[in-house]
Amino acid sequence: MDTNSKNSLFSSYPQKPELFDEVFEKDGSTKAIYEKLLGLYGEHSIQDYVYLNNKAKASFFNQGITFQVYEKEKTQEKIFPFDLFPRIIDTDEWDTIESGSIQRSKALNLFLQDIYHDKKIINDKVVPLELLSSSANYLHQMMNVDPPGGIYNHISGTDVIKHSDGKYYVLEDNIRCPSGVSYVICNRTALKRALFGVFNHYNAYTVTDYAENLLQILQSVKPRGVDNPNCVVITPGMFNSAYYEHSYLAKAMGVELVEGRDLFVENNFVYMKTINGPEKVDVIYRRIDDAFLDPLEFRSDSALGVPGLFAAYRKGNVCLANAPGTGVADDKAVYTYMPDIIKYYLDEDPILNNVHTYHCSRPDELKYVLENVDKLVVKPVDEAGGYGISIGNRLSKAEIKQVQEQIKKEPRKYVAQPILSLSVHPTYIDEKESFEQRHIDLRTFTLLGKDSEFVLRGGLTRVALKEGNLIVNSSQGGGSKDTWVLKKDK
Amino acid sequence: MLTEYTITYSTQNEYDALVNGAFWQFLIIPEENETQQLVQWHMDSNLQLSQNESINGLGFKTIHAQTKDRFTEADFKASFQVQKKSSNPFDFIPNQNLEMDYMEIQSLAFRTKHEIYLRRTGFTDLPIEFAAIFPFDSNKNIFENLMGLNHWVFVYLFFKTDVTHVDTPLKEIIEKRHGVCQDFTHLFLAIARANNIPTRYVSGYLHQGNGYFGDSQMHAWAEAYVPQAGWVGFDPTNDILVADDHIKICHGLDYSDCSPLKGVVYSSGNNKTSHSIEVRDSQQ
Repeated sequence: MDTNSKNSLFSSYPQKPELFDEVFEKDGSTKAIYEKLLGLYGEHSIQDYVYLNNKAKASFFNQGITFQVYEKEKTQEKIFPFDLFPRIIDTDEWDTIESGSIQRSKALNLFLQDIYHDKKIINDKVVPLELLSSSANYLHQMMNVDPPGGIYNHISGTDVIKHSDGKYYVLEDNIRCPSGVSYVICNRTALKRALFGVFNHYNAYTVTDYAENLLQILQSVKPRGVDNPNCVVITPGMFNSAYYEHSYLAKAMGVELVEGRDLFVENNFVYMKTINGPEKVDVIYRRIDDAFLDPLEFRSDSALGVPGLFAAYRKGNVCLANAPGTGVADDKAVYTYMPDIIKYYLDEDPILNNVHTYHCSRPDELKYVLENVDKLVVKPVDEAGGYGISIGNRLSKAEIKQVQEQIKKEPRKYVAQPILSLSVHPTYIDEKESFEQRHIDLRTFTLLGKDSEFVLRGGLTRVALKEGNLIVNSSQGGGSKDTWVLKKDK
Repeated sequence: MLTEYTITYSTQNEYDALVNGAFWQFLIIPEENETQQLVQWHMDSNLQLSQNESINGLGFKTIHAQTKDRFTEADFKASFQVQKKSSNPFDFIPNQNLEMDYMEIQSLAFRTKHEIYLRRTGFTDLPIEFAAIFPFDSNKNIFENLMGLNHWVFVYLFFKTDVTHVDTPLKEIIEKRHGVCQDFTHLFLAIARANNIPTRYVSGYLHQGNGYFGDSQMHAWAEAYVPQAGWVGFDPTNDILVADDHIKICHGLDYSDCSPLKGVVYSSGNNKTSHSIEVRDSQQ
């Protein structure tokens, strides 16, 4: 096989030398791990891809694998565009990502445990007290509460990117209700359906074992005195952007999918209404936000939650995964202390790199940020889904001024990071009927149980479909790729 | 000496539209502590209730009551028998060293330990234009300053019912200078917290035999953490220290942690709620 010249599919692949391409070397030759794939893909014509791509799209729509984009005027139902060109991660690289994700999740769990009890890390001056006192996500109701099994962040989504230096960096930790795992599994199914012969040539880990591992983790944090815990998934309902995922996970775990109105609390225990009468519920994988969990304790106008749920939780009669109040630790301001947090609790060096972050709450750093808005990514500390992010080198003068004003108004609300160069990956572009370079990241899914942990060997590779765009979130018009983690050669 | 109190709490709730089931949480049971003992209690209603004891987010005892009845009126009457030990509020170690106390409240360990009760909440965020409305005197110790604040709030605000409601902002209360015990308490909390004194909102009952303000409603006061003494109760509505006449139910960051009645009612339309409270004593 001639690997030095690109095959016909990639003959006109526009490769920018300043970008780190995961498939092609700077001289245009194919990286070893992708050689076989390129060879197999080359057997097809571009017309085949147009056809397969349309089939895959139709299949996602027909299965209802969609999400909603929240906009000011209207919300829109969209499919998460799926790219037929998979990303391959070799064993050694994956080992770093996997151990790094576990390390972060464990450190965050210990951090949560500490700040909701003795707050040693603050007294030892590793993180400032202001990190808690200024956080709207810190739930004082969680003070001195011991969650079953000692776990707060059962499910963590860690977003990593590969920088042009070839190293992985963590962009953020998501430990409230991270979503996206169902796409990982759907992408694999879709890719196998379209190009089964190709997948078969690689020895990659399965991703379909996520649900069984999630169920095991949920069962491991059962309340005291329960032998066979009854687990359920609670969803805000079919209008939520991730409803497909909620229903998928419930089905794949073989547990009930419920809404708040399907549950009730009596005598501090939680029950599910069934046609055979009430059934006790022990572990709830909750996909509703803290504020909506229980109208008696949090937002009183919440119709999504269950009255009395928090009391049942405080009494230790039910487990909520993730625990309420985890949002305080995936704040982007906490992110910047992650290397110190990891050292403090685990006495280890961080396996995955952090991106250097400037805190606008610190006067000298604020000054630097204000003077360099054009060279930085400015993010609000408490927004998820890529909302409110500004990327300096894409802003007009007027926009820069606007960002500066915003920061000056509420410095605590913003952090800034140097603009990273995310790696790029050949991505099939529908309008052009050809492959082009697009920026990608990776969301890994880590599970923490009572005495066990699991990282899904695959993760969600998200693609920024707009040329040059760096924001990969699905709500910002991103797509995704199947991600193959290779097994070690025997 | 023991005083025995009988407290009666009643509430009437009328709904415009037929209600199809409800879940209520009552935060009205007197706390058990060094000076208070709950002898017995019970609650009745015009509805068929399933009732049990529970706890709120801060661990204080609550009553959960739910019904599957259809109704337009829900009445509850609860009574509590409490024994209260006499105590002298001035009976604690007075501040010995003014400088050391101020150093202590500035220390990281102290601020960390009491972090939640130093928070500025929606109810206790002192508006910036009023930051200096009651400056603490650094020549006086913390307790003396808090006594001064207690008196100042009492003089500054006029007790007036029906002019404020549960979500009247502090700014408006300061500007209009009137309110009820809740508002007196929130103002006390806001100023004490702005001066780095951890304070908590307390909800309870007041025995009004002595002619205090309280309006046969739920009463509210503040507890402040005084170095070397611990939590001390201040009642700015009456310009007194908390003593035998105050029967505590619970505390929290502000009113939102202590609301006596919360409920989820499956109905459309509006409702009217009224409460009344009676505290009777019999010396033993």
